[in-house]
Amino acid sequence: MQVTVDGVAVEVSDGATVLEAARQAGSWVPTLCFDDRQAPFGACRACMVAVDGAAKPVPACTTVCRDGMTVDTNDPTARRVVSAVVELVMSELPSPPAPHTELAQVATRLGVSGSRWPGVTHQVEHDLRHPYLAFEHELCISCGRCVRACDEVQGTFALTAVGRGFGANVAAGIGSGFLDSACVSCGACADTCPTDAITERLLLDGGINGGPPPDAPRLRKRLSTT
Amino acid sequence: MSRNLVELIRRHDQAQAPTALDLLKSAVADHGSVTAEDVQDAAAASGLPEATVYGVATFYDDLQGPRGARHVRACSGTACFAATAGRHISELGAGLGLGVDEVKADGSVSFGEVVCLGFCHSSPALIDGSTVSAGADAVTALLAGSPAEAAEPDWVSLLEEPVLTRPGDWSGLERTLRELEPEQLLAEVVAAEVRGRGGAGFPAGVKWRFTRAAAGAEKFIVANGDEGDPGSYIDKYLMERNPNLVLEGMALAGYAAGAAHGYILVRSEYPLSKPSLDAAIRQAHADGWLGSDIRGSGFAFDITVVEGAGSYVVGEETALLACLQGLRGTVSARPPFPAERGVHGMPTVVNNVETLANIPHIARHGAQAYHDLSPDSKTAGSKLVCFNERFNRPTVYEVPFGMSMRRLCDEVAGGLRDGRTVKALQIGGPLGGILPARLLDTAFDFDQLAAEGCMVGHGSIVAFDETTDMRALTVHLLQFGAHESCGKCFPCRIGLRRAHEMFSSGAPVDQQRFEELLEALELGSLCAHGSGMPAPLRSLLAHFPDELGLAG
Repeated sequence: MQVTVDGVAVEVSDGATVLEAARQAGSWVPTLCFDDRQAPFGACRACMVAVDGAAKPVPACTTVCRDGMTVDTNDPTARRVVSAVVELVMSELPSPPAPHTELAQVATRLGVSGSRWPGVTHQVEHDLRHPYLAFEHELCISCGRCVRACDEVQGTFALTAVGRGFGANVAAGIGSGFLDSACVSCGACADTCPTDAITERLLLDGGINGGPPPDAPRLRKRLSTT
Repeated sequence: MSRNLVELIRRHDQAQAPTALDLLKSAVADHGSVTAEDVQDAAAASGLPEATVYGVATFYDDLQGPRGARHVRACSGTACFAATAGRHISELGAGLGLGVDEVKADGSVSFGEVVCLGFCHSSPALIDGSTVSAGADAVTALLAGSPAEAAEPDWVSLLEEPVLTRPGDWSGLERTLRELEPEQLLAEVVAAEVRGRGGAGFPAGVKWRFTRAAAGAEKFIVANGDEGDPGSYIDKYLMERNPNLVLEGMALAGYAAGAAHGYILVRSEYPLSKPSLDAAIRQAHADGWLGSDIRGSGFAFDITVVEGAGSYVVGEETALLACLQGLRGTVSARPPFPAERGVHGMPTVVNNVETLANIPHIARHGAQAYHDLSPDSKTAGSKLVCFNERFNRPTVYEVPFGMSMRRLCDEVAGGLRDGRTVKALQIGGPLGGILPARLLDTAFDFDQLAAEGCMVGHGSIVAFDETTDMRALTVHLLQFGAHESCGKCFPCRIGLRRAHEMFSSGAPVDQQRFEELLEALELGSLCAHGSGMPAPLRSLLAHFPDELGLAG
């Protein structure tokens, strides 16, 4: 079937999502909870676009294309919602995300710096006991990518969403951290994390053979400069 | 919803194992909290990963500690707010010497809030263990150690021939099995244009048709009895006073959609609902209305009752399916719709309890008779509505659609008590708009309420009298909204928290920033919780701007 995205006609297969069509057409649609190795999740609402001129935007990742559909990824209403969502996400972090992270890059491209809605931020809580994986919970935006990577990609189920509402976060095992969970150290969670809440520790950092674990901010800085 | 986890649950269900949520609830009932060992045991017994079960344990209100030997909770629903502005909560806490979510050092007593016990006719309501007391003297009586079990007023039908308040007698199923093919019943329900009574108003027949047409080795009917709307006690009355009518509606849905098994999910805040339904199911089996070969027709249908664990959003259909299967009650993006992938990944009809209670009438008398019930409205059928304690005669009433809100308030519910006057109504639950007194001539009808930014919703009518502080009401609504957000989609998870912070701080609220936030919530949220919360807030901005403490 044929779909037109921002004036560009593309041929898509049955069941294709609006996000797939947009990418095929070369249009940029911001995403935070989407990873093309995983089933669409529909949580972040950063991929809102206008379809067929309708006033209410729809999420591109979970909306299925219909033949003849027209998509506007720059619709002003959709963009207002998307910018607001990204501002809200930035407002829950106690410090800005590192520049190389997906979240920082989406924010920069949307021109979002501060937030119109400042407020309480996530409590700083670090799990640095595992030799290969570090978890800085205050950077978690509950996008669910790590949980789904562990479920859909790795099949280990060592991670879960926890809590509810603003208190939502992610935990390994029964809340006791990576080391005491079923984690097999595959790194799929760190690989997909859009904020560096979960990062891989480098062997040279000394985590393995008893050296003191590096503090997390230093770790992030190293990663961001490589 | 994770397909892998649902498949694990499906395989385990065949071994008739309890769900992880059931096991965690049992742990709390047994020793007051969920321990790491409980999570490990529940994981082993339910076949789910430990982390998954831990995630479940952190989601539901009923599983959160601390919990004393005696657990006392005060209702924080909207009817109780309308009655006391929240004073019953602080007074009870002060009397017990405990703050909300605190427990005595010796573990003897704990205190918490609960969102709506369904005793909105007698607010404020309290629950001590599983005993509900209610009324202006309830706090004093409970603290004196002599709480009286709260009574519930009888329901009343304004219809000559009651439909929903008529005791269910299985006559609709009896006629159907004798005279109608499944496709014929389906056609009648589609023609009757039964709109869902849970709040969304989606046509029930369309859901049935999708489910019937979907491919699946089995199909399921799910009755949504998670009546979480503060101010509503309609489904409570149906499940506790007329369970047969609900069960009959489910069996008819099963017949039309091609399902042999049904589930009812009831709220734990209604401790009498599950026993009532279970007893009715046992009786129906004894009478041959449920079972493997119903009245010799060859049609088989059975029903299981499942109890929730404290979460408003579980009333959303995908979250309901997650809870039913023992998972975290978070919302899933649709598609896939439940009609395609529901319980155990199989095609599933999810209908509200009241919606299903409409079906026996259609099965017995046909679609036209159903349309004739509300001659003054485009909406077919009758509706149960319920009123809060501010009224003279608060109870559940069966009414036709199309009456004015003024007639409902004044003639049906007898106006407000003690000479008080209506300042505003919230209709249809916490996501319903707020109708100021000057618009009381609006008709109770889907289209006409929508024109005023309101909705039929689930049918609750909560009156606020002239003493209600509208900024305090705003904080009350936002506290509920933020507490109940499932935490999945970003606008709702963060936005409702921010909106609550803006109003609860006491500082002037920048109206433009607030309205920009409402837009993101309304247009960005994944489900009706986040997208619906702006409706009452917009009503308050439109009708009571001077009372909200706005700046700019």
